[in-house]
Amino acid sequence: MNEAIVSTCGLGKTIGRKEILRDVTVEVAPGSIVGIIGKNGAGKTTLLEILLGFSPATSGSAQLFGHDSFTLPANIKGRIGFVPQQDDLVNLLTGRQQLDLIAALHGHWNAALIERLGQAWEVPLERGILNLSGGERQKLSTLAALGHDPQLLVLDEPVASLDPIARRRFLHEMIEITAERTRTVLFSTHIVSDLERVADQIWVLRDGAIVWSGPLDRLQESVVRLRISARTALPALLPLADCLSQRVSGARASAVVSGWSEQRRAQLSELLGAEVSVEPLGLEDIFVELHS
Amino acid sequence: MGNLPAPRLFTLQPGSGVPIYLQLMQQVRRMVASGQLTPGTELPSVREVATEYTVNPTTISKAYGLLENEGLLQRNRGKPMTIAATRPAGSLPQRLKQVEPQVEALVLAARQLELKASELCQFIEKKMEKNRE
Repeated sequence: MNEAIVSTCGLGKTIGRKEILRDVTVEVAPGSIVGIIGKNGAGKTTLLEILLGFSPATSGSAQLFGHDSFTLPANIKGRIGFVPQQDDLVNLLTGRQQLDLIAALHGHWNAALIERLGQAWEVPLERGILNLSGGERQKLSTLAALGHDPQLLVLDEPVASLDPIARRRFLHEMIEITAERTRTVLFSTHIVSDLERVADQIWVLRDGAIVWSGPLDRLQESVVRLRISARTALPALLPLADCLSQRVSGARASAVVSGWSEQRRAQLSELLGAEVSVEPLGLEDIFVELHS
Repeated sequence: MGNLPAPRLFTLQPGSGVPIYLQLMQQVRRMVASGQLTPGTELPSVREVATEYTVNPTTISKAYGLLENEGLLQRNRGKPMTIAATRPAGSLPQRLKQVEPQVEALVLAARQLELKASELCQFIEKKMEKNRE
């Protein structure tokens, strides 16, 4: 019932001498929207490709719906929808012809959903794919991945070429289609403000390793900026074990910590003989701090 | 077609750094305290809030669940959640705890503007008087 849709254990990938991914252990529960953030080259696309079985892991394991990713049976593959960063649309076709072609490959096709989304997203289905803009191609390729009602939708930078209005419509639809908790979404992005809206789980990838994974709420509560003000000069280096960055100037200091909990405040306040106030950080700041 | 959409009940700011469930909880508590939401009032469903504001439903249902635990909301089988009939007032420290984040922000701003505590208190008293009418 409640088994993980995606799970990896100690997953690693080395190509030649380059270590692309290292010791990735994550799990995705049904109905979640997982957002993966990381700098260019952090390993996001490689991770998604291994999860989907496009290439094997060098070490550790990756499973989808309880099956090894690299040897997925066809019926499991049919439960997955994937939108790659570089679409594989056929330029000679119109949007509609492309969708019909893909529909024919699947046993089941939700024509009503695709018709509705095509209109909501203003995808010119009658136009030749060669003449579509980057954003239109992206939307079409998302439609192509949604038609067979996949239980797991994997999107690699799905909104990169969409304008703000189209992005918001896209996010809205992502909430709609996951609201019943029967679909799970995994997507990578650079646009952290989108994650703040729609993701419930966040994975932060840095140089091939997961530096943070868990609920967005918890990330926002754990990584915070502290403002510290004392009556007398503070030590030049604050004794904070999980400090990501700090600045001390006389009796005042600010620091960003990664494992904050409200219980620590009184303790810290007493230790430093100072007042400690907590400032929340936006996800973009958190992302930058986790890379400091 | 017909009805105009109801005005938005909540102000949710995903970019503020404050988890959305906390924003929602604070707003419901305040609206109940100010009498804007009265016992029996139906709240929009998790799905309605999630789609209307384009935010993840998990954080909304977390807020509703925690407010239910606090005794502020009542879960009704197959029907929308409502504001609970009798709500516990909570002890003074508990109620103060609820305004702590706002007070902290206020203190920070007051420091920057070099306002004295007495000046600020006077101002707050005046505002609270006015609110009472």
